[in-house]
Amino acid sequence: MTEQSSSSRKKKRLRSPNDNDEHPLGRIETSTRLEDNLTFSDTLIALQLMRTQFPKLEKVVTRPFILRSQLYSSVKDRTQVDRDLEYFVLQSLKKDRVLRVFKLNTGQDDHAIMFMDDYLKQIEFSVRRSTGKNQDGNEVFEWFERYVVHSKLDVSIDHLELYSLLSHGGDASDKHITLLMNAGLLIRQLIDPNMYWFAIPSIGPILKGLSQGRKEILSLLNRRKYKEMLLCSLENTRLRLSPLDVRFHLRDLIGSGHIKTVQTPTGFLARISKD
Amino acid sequence: MRRVWLWTRGLGLWPSFSLLLRRFCIFCDRCWLPGAVHLIRTQTQNFYIGSCQLSPSGSGILRSINQSGYNCPIQWKLGSAPIEPPHCPLLPHRSARQRPDRAVRCSAPLSLRPRPPPSLAVRRHRDHTRSGLSPEWMWCEEAKRRERGELSARRFQALARSRRAASLALSNRKEIATPHHGAVNSLQVDLTEGRYLLSGASDGSAAIFDVKNATEYEAGFIAKHRSILLVDRQHEHGHKFVVSKAIWYPVDTGLFVTASFDTYVKVWDTNSTQVVMDFKMPGKVYSAAMSPIATTHMLIATGSADVQVRLCDIASGAFTHTLSGHHDGIMSLEWSTSSEWILMSGGCDGAIRFWDIRRAGCFLALDQSRSQLGRRPPFLDRTIEVCLLLPISSDFLLTVLTQDCLQDHKNTLGPSTSSKNYSVQQRTGNRKKQSKTLHRSQTPTRGHVQQRVHPGMSSSQNRTIAHYGAITGLKTTTDGMHLLSSGSDSRLKLWDIDSGCNTLVNFEATRLQTSKPLQLAVTEDPSLVFVPCMASIKAYNIWSGTMFQTFRGHYDDVNCCYYSSQDQELYTGSNDRQILVWSPSTPAFTEMEDDEKPQGFFAADVDNWSD
Repeated sequence: MTEQSSSSRKKKRLRSPNDNDEHPLGRIETSTRLEDNLTFSDTLIALQLMRTQFPKLEKVVTRPFILRSQLYSSVKDRTQVDRDLEYFVLQSLKKDRVLRVFKLNTGQDDHAIMFMDDYLKQIEFSVRRSTGKNQDGNEVFEWFERYVVHSKLDVSIDHLELYSLLSHGGDASDKHITLLMNAGLLIRQLIDPNMYWFAIPSIGPILKGLSQGRKEILSLLNRRKYKEMLLCSLENTRLRLSPLDVRFHLRDLIGSGHIKTVQTPTGFLARISKD
Repeated sequence: MRRVWLWTRGLGLWPSFSLLLRRFCIFCDRCWLPGAVHLIRTQTQNFYIGSCQLSPSGSGILRSINQSGYNCPIQWKLGSAPIEPPHCPLLPHRSARQRPDRAVRCSAPLSLRPRPPPSLAVRRHRDHTRSGLSPEWMWCEEAKRRERGELSARRFQALARSRRAASLALSNRKEIATPHHGAVNSLQVDLTEGRYLLSGASDGSAAIFDVKNATEYEAGFIAKHRSILLVDRQHEHGHKFVVSKAIWYPVDTGLFVTASFDTYVKVWDTNSTQVVMDFKMPGKVYSAAMSPIATTHMLIATGSADVQVRLCDIASGAFTHTLSGHHDGIMSLEWSTSSEWILMSGGCDGAIRFWDIRRAGCFLALDQSRSQLGRRPPFLDRTIEVCLLLPISSDFLLTVLTQDCLQDHKNTLGPSTSSKNYSVQQRTGNRKKQSKTLHRSQTPTRGHVQQRVHPGMSSSQNRTIAHYGAITGLKTTTDGMHLLSSGSDSRLKLWDIDSGCNTLVNFEATRLQTSKPLQLAVTEDPSLVFVPCMASIKAYNIWSGTMFQTFRGHYDDVNCCYYSSQDQELYTGSNDRQILVWSPSTPAFTEMEDDEKPQGFFAADVDNWSD
């Protein structure tokens, strides 16, 4: 219960600075919306709201994505989150373009969730960047988008299956798969040489920022005497190493269990959780 | 240790036993020896053990102390079927309910209602405590309802057990004085009597404690249990290095098996404390397991740092076969509770494989991407509604296959309840499942198409993984329908064994030990699962994944926990060399126990029928 109210409190703080810039009448709208959505009972609503709150980055152009641990911290029932995600991913078959889940390489069980149109736009950005260099074999991106992305919804894909799916478009060869990997759409797995992970392209600096930002916040709290800090002062700190903002990291750390929030008379307190 | 006589009805003799284990003797059901302990296995594979006394009238009485958790006298005359006295308050015998066994017959009729969902009992308890009712009042209320006949015996028992399981706390009446000088790695209470606790430690020692009778009483009422047997490095045939697993022989307490990092698996005779046989493995042995329901084999499945699971036979003293398929060492092994031929192994490569030991390969490797939403409904509900099978698969040619598959699968009504359905159709992942009876409205499954080498078998090229890390612990529920696995990615997953799918229950585990095999525990009506998480033990609700309670008491990382379903006690062992006892704190019980037992007086088992 502390978690959900803490997330709602954070939402109050999060929304007002953002929406103030966009809309002069934003304040009134946010308050009515917040009262409706104090607790996130629905995963999809949580996803959509967090997508709008994705921090705007200057150097890298990325479409918003949501980490799975962020979802756990904002929706109360984790099993429900898992099941809803499965359901939405499956639904992508029937009425396409809802969600896609990707496995990230920061940490052992990190997953990123992206809306399908965001993912397709991200693919376009990275394709445009990589096709400037060489001209042949570019049809593979089109085949990839048309045949592989929409039909294969797992986080990973087998080599043979990739071949067979790409062949629907034309004659697929190793050169084409190399192009896909260079563009950052596929990553080879370390455990199995025949399997590839699906990846969000051109997201490298953000992932680096993610892991470094996590370490920075945890070290910030660990250095303190009692390993805790008020949430409002924590939110005002600026991170040196990460382009993402503190609130993004905080949600992620709360959801993965490294930080827990405690209700105190002076507000919410973030504390390093130890088992 | 009592002498144990083995009595199997209708199954013939086990000749190898009498040669090897001189304590064993096979009787037909007409021979009785007063004072002997009998082990009976009924048609429905329930084990009952009891001591026999002859009353003056010449009838023998078997006092069954198994499976019910409460002493329940079963009375019979020589040569005739036993009859239970009608006023016995708890009649738990499943066999009596379903089929009239010759060994056990219950005189009071029990209704054949389907069992209520197991979480209900725990939930009800919690709701009541939240509303402010005291546990003693609850207990009296339930007892009164039972007396009036409003509550059936099984229901009463289930409620009592779940309430006790939900109120576990560090015991203030019982402690175990551990003689180990190293971390406690494995704990097990014997399956026949539920009386002797076997522990294996990192200093190469194994100890046995009697958890029902204390060796001494401190301050008058704190029962201190010292070890009654200790085998350590000083023993001439003892283990030299860490004992990673110590398990009882499942049929009786005459033998136990220890597996150690010195690559030996030794079988010990409990009474003479001698090694009866040993098996040399190619690498450090992480895990050993014996099937609790095996009647035709006596195989110890051992998993070591080598990639193969080896099966050692006590009867012949040799290895029977090796199961290969894993790509790395094997940290955890578990036999199925529904079939004596099915073994589940979890490896350091992250795969959980199911093996049928009568055949050569593994027939199932659990895949974490194959998932189903929710539990499948219990059998009775499913037969009422019609189960349609819908296509959900990530195959591109979905629409083309849809019509074909519908035709194929229309006849196969729902997932079968037997665990031996190895048809290729089920395993290719192209199957569809929808059941209207679940409150989650759909159970679609999804997975990738797997290449098959032989029909029904999974090839060793199959790299499907169940966890993103090593599998550190495996545990099945007692009904054999679900499997819990813990991995070094600090995740716990609940699998549906029959369909081989991940049920997507999210347990809020934060950090689990990654380098050592863990031992998980599940309550009998599977409502709670106990997981050792670093220095504490967390109890989770098995179906919703929410954390129910944290047990903090150890000073260092906890390695193993064992839940004894007879007394509803939890025993935990950790790196701080202690074994802690967590017992139910419902006051009504403890008061009753104190009144009956005179303090400081512990005698051999004397009961009401001995003259």
